[in-house]
Formats: sequence, structure tokens, C-alpha cells
Amino acid sequence: MKAAFIPKFARYVEWPAPVRPAERDPFELCVIGHDPYGSLLDRAAAREAIEGREIVVRRLRTAEGAASCHLAFVHGASPPETGRLLVALRGLPILTITDSRAGPVRGMIHFTTVGGRVRFFIDDAVAAERGLSISSRLLALALGVRQRRS
Amino acid sequence: MKHLIGLSATRTNAPTAIIAVVALLLLAGIGIIVQNEAAYRELQGQEVRVQAEILAESVEAALDFGDAQAAQGAVEAIRVNRQVRTVGVYDAAGALVAGYGRDGDAPPPTRDVPYASTRGAVASIVPVESGSERIGSVFLAADPEPLSSRLTRYLVMALLVLMAVLVIIVLGIGQNALRRANRELEERAEALVGANAELKVQIAERARAEDQLRQAQKLQALGQLTGGIAHDFNNLLTVIQGSADMLRRPGIEEAKRMRFAEAIAQAASRAAALTGQLLAFARRQPLQPEVLDVNALIRGMIDLFDRTLGERISVITDLASTACAVEADRAQLESALLNIAVNARDAMPEGGTLKIATESRPDGESGRMVAIAVTDSGEGMDAETLARAIEPFFTTKSTGKGTGLGLSQVYGFATQSGGDVRIDSAPGKGTTVTLLLPCSRASASAQEEDQGARFQAKRTGRVLLVEDNDEVGEFAHSLLSEIGHHVEWVRSGEEALELIESRDFDVVFSDVVMPGMSGLELAEALRRLRPGLPVILTTGYSDEIAATGAGGRPVILKPYRLENLAAAIDQALDGREKE
Repeated sequence: MKAAFIPKFARYVEWPAPVRPAERDPFELCVIGHDPYGSLLDRAAAREAIEGREIVVRRLRTAEGAASCHLAFVHGASPPETGRLLVALRGLPILTITDSRAGPVRGMIHFTTVGGRVRFFIDDAVAAERGLSISSRLLALALGVRQRRS
Repeated sequence: MKHLIGLSATRTNAPTAIIAVVALLLLAGIGIIVQNEAAYRELQGQEVRVQAEILAESVEAALDFGDAQAAQGAVEAIRVNRQVRTVGVYDAAGALVAGYGRDGDAPPPTRDVPYASTRGAVASIVPVESGSERIGSVFLAADPEPLSSRLTRYLVMALLVLMAVLVIIVLGIGQNALRRANRELEERAEALVGANAELKVQIAERARAEDQLRQAQKLQALGQLTGGIAHDFNNLLTVIQGSADMLRRPGIEEAKRMRFAEAIAQAASRAAALTGQLLAFARRQPLQPEVLDVNALIRGMIDLFDRTLGERISVITDLASTACAVEADRAQLESALLNIAVNARDAMPEGGTLKIATESRPDGESGRMVAIAVTDSGEGMDAETLARAIEPFFTTKSTGKGTGLGLSQVYGFATQSGGDVRIDSAPGKGTTVTLLLPCSRASASAQEEDQGARFQAKRTGRVLLVEDNDEVGEFAHSLLSEIGHHVEWVRSGEEALELIESRDFDVVFSDVVMPGMSGLELAEALRRLRPGLPVILTTGYSDEIAATGAGGRPVILKPYRLENLAAAIDQALDGREKE
């Protein structure tokens, strides 16, 4: 379920102009650290097309080489590991996604399960710092939102 | 006529035109309502669709992430709109994710079940797409605007149309009434014009009839006049003719000769009196007013009355001593009294009493007056005769017996003297004719004495005679020469002025009516040229003298008697001598 959600986030996020993929260029969805979804994520990414652009999935062990990523599912082996990975990505305009099963450390979107249903928190403040703009429609679905400083 | 036809045609067309306009307005109103309704339906369809699209947009993310709660939240937001009856959000498979229904209505359980539209609700289904992928659909059904509010809207429109219709009807009725009134007015005006024309014709006819009547009356009057005058004149002419014939016989005795000559003179004098009456009636007689004692004058006429009225009528007098003197023409006053007396005699064929009374009347509008009332005991007059008594030529006597001028002369004389005539009479009660004359300020006796003294003087002088008529001139010349005057005779005023330049005269005796310079003009010229020279005028009658008087100069009326002329000349010479 989460694997199906991850590529959809790209639709509700605006990247700053310099990093927005050029026409026909794909969005890069990176899985950094441990990959819990495998081919599920590949299939989900293949179903999505955002304004004519495909989504390609790259799997990275570390944060190195993540500069070209647009979305990054960060899943360290332990919560501190996840924390370190996130710190490594700080300063890059990348929508970071974390899962509560990997620890309490949160990316911009943080999955959790409530009553058997997948829900998420959104940290709009960090997203704004990185120059990302998250659609209000997505914000409306979040369990909670850390508001950006206006 | 053409105008009328045109009018009636417009009259029949007017209501038709009004009905047509009203029908057109009603049709237009209905058309507008129908069109409005259709447009409203379409608009509502669009509105519902737009609303559904907005909802689809807002539930996109919720469907994308399978968040039914979020979808329901978006749907609840629409609840505010009371008109939206039912909303349903379906996922890609067509299953209902979120929705609500109002008033027992409910969204179809799945996307593929058709919505049973109730109460004319407008429904719309729009897909929810994420990118190019269809991830669900939104169903939205809304009530149309409540009928009542729509009806209210249409009612306003209907009212407007109705008012327009009413206005047109009222205008139409008003115009119709106006047209009818106009037509009536026109008809009345035409009737009036007709009546006016008829009236004019009648007036013209009446004027013509009156003219004819006046002409007839004139002719009748002329006939009466001619008859009366001819009768009187013939009598006089018979006397004159007969006497002249007798005088021509040789060897006639002196006494007889004198009698015939006297008869001629008397007849001529009566003829003169007759023409005098005619002129007085025409008011062309210049009056010779003198101050008269009325009582003395009446006493002096008693003998004359007795002789004129005959033995069967007794004359009595009742003369008031307070009766004042009057200023009037003696001959005319005598003539007037005689005329009244003759009328009285004719009213008393069986005899009776004639009473002559004088009375002083107190100051009235025209000052103090003396009233001379002549009353007979005759048959009297009815009101009609009384009303016409003074009318000239009116007479009750048969043709040839009277001129119809008697009372007319009395009236003419009285008014010319500043007085009046009153007649009181009733059938069987006799008649009273009252002659009113204004009192004179001068005393009568002195005048009488003066006159007596004048006639005694007997002088001779140089007389300039101005007369254009040969016979009269010849006669006057011989008369004046006979009584011892030196007479020079010229035939015009111009000649007279010429002669006076070179010769001296004591008195001028001039005719008034002459071709060229008139006697009055000559007198005026002489007054400037020879202020002391007396002028005596003579005339048959003269408008000028009647109108303006002779400027204080003595006037001798034609035909004149020798003693009159002699006295006037003597008086003039006497006055000149005194200067």
C-alpha cells in the first residue's frame, strides 16, 4: 500500500525550477538504505505518469549520488541510521519520505498506520526550507502537518 | 364628407389595434418566460456540473490515497448548499466512497446504478482523474430553484406585462373617448355653421322685408302728404285764382277790388303758413324767438279759436298768473296752438268744450317751465293711435282732410324751443295735449313795448339789395323803392363786396342761399370790412341758419310781407342812426 502511495506524492509537490526535470525527463525516485518494497515499488512507479513524465526508481545504499533524486524513501537499518541518512540529504531539494516502522525519525512525509489504514504526517516547514511546495490537497489528507513559518 | 369617412374607418380600427398590441405583449411575455425557463434549466445544468467538477478536484487526492474520510469531509463542505440534494463520490471500481442525501434521498449505491431523478432534480456525473488515469467519479444532484421563487420572478414579469397592457388599454380608451369627443365637437361646429348661415339668410331676408316695408310706408306717407297738401293748396289756389280773375274784370268797384286783393293776400299768407308747417316738421324752419307772455298770446287768440272751431264748441280758459314768459317763435307757437285746437275740433264733431290752461311747472331737469294744456271733451284716442299721434303723416282723417303734420309740427316746434309735448288720452275720456316750454329770463312787456316803438319809426336810406333770383329781386327792389329807399341791386356776394368798396350804404339786405358766396359769408366779410354796416338776411329756409343761427342778425322769412320788410329796414336804420 505504501509502495503504491510513494510515486503518487510527486503529483502533489512542486520542485524549485532549477531541479524540476526538463520536458520528457523522468522524475527520480530513490530508495536510500534498505528497500522494503522491492518490485512492488517498481510497478507502482511504472503506473504513474506526472504531466507526461515517467518515474524511475534508483536504489542507493548511502546518500552519496542522491543529488539528482526528486523523491527519496529513506529507510536506514536503525533509527539513528535513518537519521544520519536524512542529515546527509539536508540542503538538497528532495522530498524525503520515512516510515514509522523504521523509527521515530521523520522525513517530510512520515508514514504511519492507524486502524489498519496507511496515513501520513507532513512536515511542511522543512519542505519549505528546501524550496518545495506541497499541495494543499495533500496537506488535507495528512494526519498532522508541521506548518511552515509564514 | 370624405373627412367623416376617414374618421369612421379609424374608429373601427382603433380597438383592433389595441387588441393586437395587447396580444403581442402577452405573447412576448409568455415567450420571455418560456425562454427564461429553458435558459435557467441549462444554466442550472452547467452550475451542477461545475460544482461536481470542483468536488472532483477536491476529492482527487483523497481518492488517490484511498482516504474515504477526507473524501467525506470534502462532500460535507457541499452540504452548505441547500439546493444540492445528493452527492456521491465513487472510486475507480465504481464503489461509493463518500456521499450524503438530503430529505431521504440518497446517492446511487454504485456508479453504474442510474439515479432516479425526483422532483425535477438536475444531476451530473464527472470523472475524477489523476494525471490521465481515471481514479473515480463524482455524482451530484441539485434541486432546481424552488417553483415558488421562480413563480415570484415570473409574477413580477407578468405584473410588468399586465401593467403595460393596462396602460395601453387605458390609453386606447382615452384616445377613443377623445376622438369621440372631437367628432361630436366637429359635428356641433358644423351644425353651428349651418345654423349661422341660415340665420344670415334670415337676417338678409328680414332686412329686405324691412326695406320694402319702409319703402311702402314712405310711399304711403308721400301719398297722404301729397293728398293733404294738394287739398289745402288747391283751396287756397282757388281763392287766389278766382280773386285774380275777378280783379281782371273791367269796371270793378273799388270796394270789391280791395276785397279780392285782401282775399289773395290772406290765401297767400295761409299758404305760407302751410309751407312753414312743413318746414317746422322737417325742423328746417329757422325760428325767430322772442320773449312772449303766454297768457297774453292766448288771450289774443281767443277770437281766432272761436272762428276756427265754430259755434258748437265753447272755448274756456284757465290762465295762471304765475305763468312765466317764454322765448319762442310767435308764429310757430300760434300755429302749434291752432293745430292742437283744430285736432280738438275734429275730435268733437258733435260739439263740446275746449279748455286752454296755463300752469307754472317747478324746476325740473330742464329748469322752470310753463305748461299750456289744451283739453277737449272729445272721443279720445286708443293706445295705438296715441302711440303714433306725433308720427309725421300719421292721421286718422280721411285722405284730403288733413296732412298728418299737425301734432308733428307741434312736436318739432316744442323740441326746437327746448320744450316737450305730452299727450294724455283714453277712448271716451277726451284728450289733453300739454305743451311744455322753458321759462325765459327776460321780461316780456319791455320787449313788447320796444317792438311797438320800432314800428313807429319811418326813415329812408341807401339799401344794397343782394338777390340772385330775378323775380324776387325785382319784387324786392320795387317794394323798397316804393317805401322811399335808394336801392342798388346786385346778384351775388362778390359783386356786393366790389360795390361796397366804392359806394356807401346804410343797410345791406341779402338773400342767404346763392351760388358762390352765401349771404352768411357775405355778412361775415362785411363785419370785418364795414363793422358798423347792418345786414338783414332773408331766406325761404336755410340749413345753415337753422344749424348755426344768423349770428344775431335779423332774418326775414320768405315769403315776406311789405310791413315786415319795412319794419326790419327801419329798425336797422334806426340802430345805425343811434350810433
